Amino acid sequence: MRWLGLGVAAAAAFVLAVVVGPAHVPLANLMTSDIVRSLRLPRAILAFLVGGALALSGASLQALVRNPLADPFLLGLSGGAGLGAVLAIALRIGGPWALPLAAFAGALVAMGLVYRLGLVGGSALDPRVLILAGVAVGAFASAVTTAIVSLSEATQLRNAFLWLWGGLSGASWDTVLVACVYFPLPVLVLLAAARPLDVLALGEEPARHLGADVEPLKRRVYLAASLLTAAAVAVSGVIGFVGLVVPHAMRALWGHQHRPLLPAAFLGGGTLLALSDTVARTFVAPRELPVGIVTALVGVPVFALLLRRWTAS
Amino acid sequence: MRRWAHRTHLAGLFLAAAALACQPTDRATPPPPPPPPTSPGGVAVTDDAGRRVTLSAPARRIVSLSPAVTELLFALGAGDWVVGRTTWCDYPPAARAVPSVGDGLNPNLEAVAARRPDLVILYRSALNETAAQQLARLGIAAAVVRQDRLEDLARAAGLVATLTGRGAAGASLARGIDSLLHAPAPPAPAAARRRVAFVVWDNPPMVIGGGSYLDELATLAGTENMFHDIPAASATVSLETIAARDPDVIAVLADSGAPAVPAWAARREWQVVRAVRERRFAVLGGSLFARPSPRAPQAVAALRRALAATR
Repeated sequence: MRWLGLGVAAAAAFVLAVVVGPAHVPLANLMTSDIVRSLRLPRAILAFLVGGALALSGASLQALVRNPLADPFLLGLSGGAGLGAVLAIALRIGGPWALPLAAFAGALVAMGLVYRLGLVGGSALDPRVLILAGVAVGAFASAVTTAIVSLSEATQLRNAFLWLWGGLSGASWDTVLVACVYFPLPVLVLLAAARPLDVLALGEEPARHLGADVEPLKRRVYLAASLLTAAAVAVSGVIGFVGLVVPHAMRALWGHQHRPLLPAAFLGGGTLLALSDTVARTFVAPRELPVGIVTALVGVPVFALLLRRWTAS
Repeated sequence: MRRWAHRTHLAGLFLAAAALACQPTDRATPPPPPPPPTSPGGVAVTDDAGRRVTLSAPARRIVSLSPAVTELLFALGAGDWVVGRTTWCDYPPAARAVPSVGDGLNPNLEAVAARRPDLVILYRSALNETAAQQLARLGIAAAVVRQDRLEDLARAAGLVATLTGRGAAGASLARGIDSLLHAPAPPAPAAARRRVAFVVWDNPPMVIGGGSYLDELATLAGTENMFHDIPAASATVSLETIAARDPDVIAVLADSGAPAVPAWAARREWQVVRAVRERRFAVLGGSLFARPSPRAPQAVAALRRALAATR
């Protein structure tokens, strides 16, 4: 029943994203319209994939660091991506893909640094060390970014933040292809980690006693979740809120078992982002809202309702 | 915690940028205090923030914190008295010889004061109004000037001319702007009458709206800005909307020496826009289009040429 509801919601969000838009396309021309085929369809698919990736990554990281506040960008990735994007503009690196690639590279560097710091002194990705390392790396990257923005004369730098703050304007069959090639591996790694994550939720010591390979598990989950998030940043910037709230919402409906939780988070995240993007495109047409604002505006009331149910039961 | 710190910090940057980009609405100003008696030879004006600015003599050491004001000062023949400028002040070329005091967005008051100015002119924004008050407390006269659109220019010219004792030059400049605004434009050649969309950023797509100087230039050039209906100076729009409105030409702003076709024209999602597919771009280079200036007639002519030159 829950699965059916989620499936129907996902399908409805997807159909809505394709049918509704700021440009008027008659229903009869839906399949022949260039706007639908080249813009709306890839954008709806990308919204679904990115939303799903962020929610899955958030759910996994919340389990990994055992902290309900964790989200895909907690561990310094947004700071690294921002620095990469700003550097690409400041150094006048040209080309149609310069910004996404630079942001991806920046996120990967931040991920590498946080990972390395998470191993300092044999701490083996201790959640506390990992979070502090993420905070430190993110703050450092933001500081360098701000320094570049204040000292550089490139007027385009301001726009780098527009890009970085996320949105699916860059969606095309190219970005969908990138997501389809890149996403499956980390997604499968995370889905396969569902059972061990249940064991890890008991605490590292108990998990070890139950025979779980705690260190390799943590490494695998951290790397897969971060790589997934970095790729999401490359195709759509930093879209907040989906990765934080959708996992909690799905936990309220499915409980704490990761076997149903992780796929439900993927579907739920995709649904929320596809829906939010439709609102972002159409609500103030011909203007467009940043999708991150809409994910918060749509998500918070739903979240509040779920929270009430959750605490009541 | 960090995320919030990071976000709010970015938000600060953004607000500063937004304050620059938006044209603040006129708020009710308190009744001005009775003007203090000006000494013989002194000048007094009410600036665009409604503040009374008095000088005992026309300004002779001026720090300009806005590229548009710097250009105006030089056009009024007061260029020799400019002792400080922003990093963005690039016109006329002589302005580059003046020492820079920073980017002018959030003025470094110490650097400004170090130039020992008798007048500081700032662009009108919330941050700059605070800065003007701080300067006044230091005993440095500061005037805030709005210069977002062509109609602001005539008034700004009068204000700056009075403060620098260049009244005659200011009046003639204001007349020139008025006649440009009100004289019927000569009919544009058919090639220049193409409908244009000014795209200033590709992802998310940002276009120039009706509340901008470029929109005025387009009207004066006899063409149509396809996003004239958006009241803001610029706005994020859906790519889908650009495709549906189907402009004949995409105009892009660029530094001089930029390629004739922007890099993003190669991205697949933009191919749905006919003008991008057919590579019909007009590159508007340099400072001519960046701000309202006495060079507006040249800007109109250059826009016409650029539109006519696209296939």
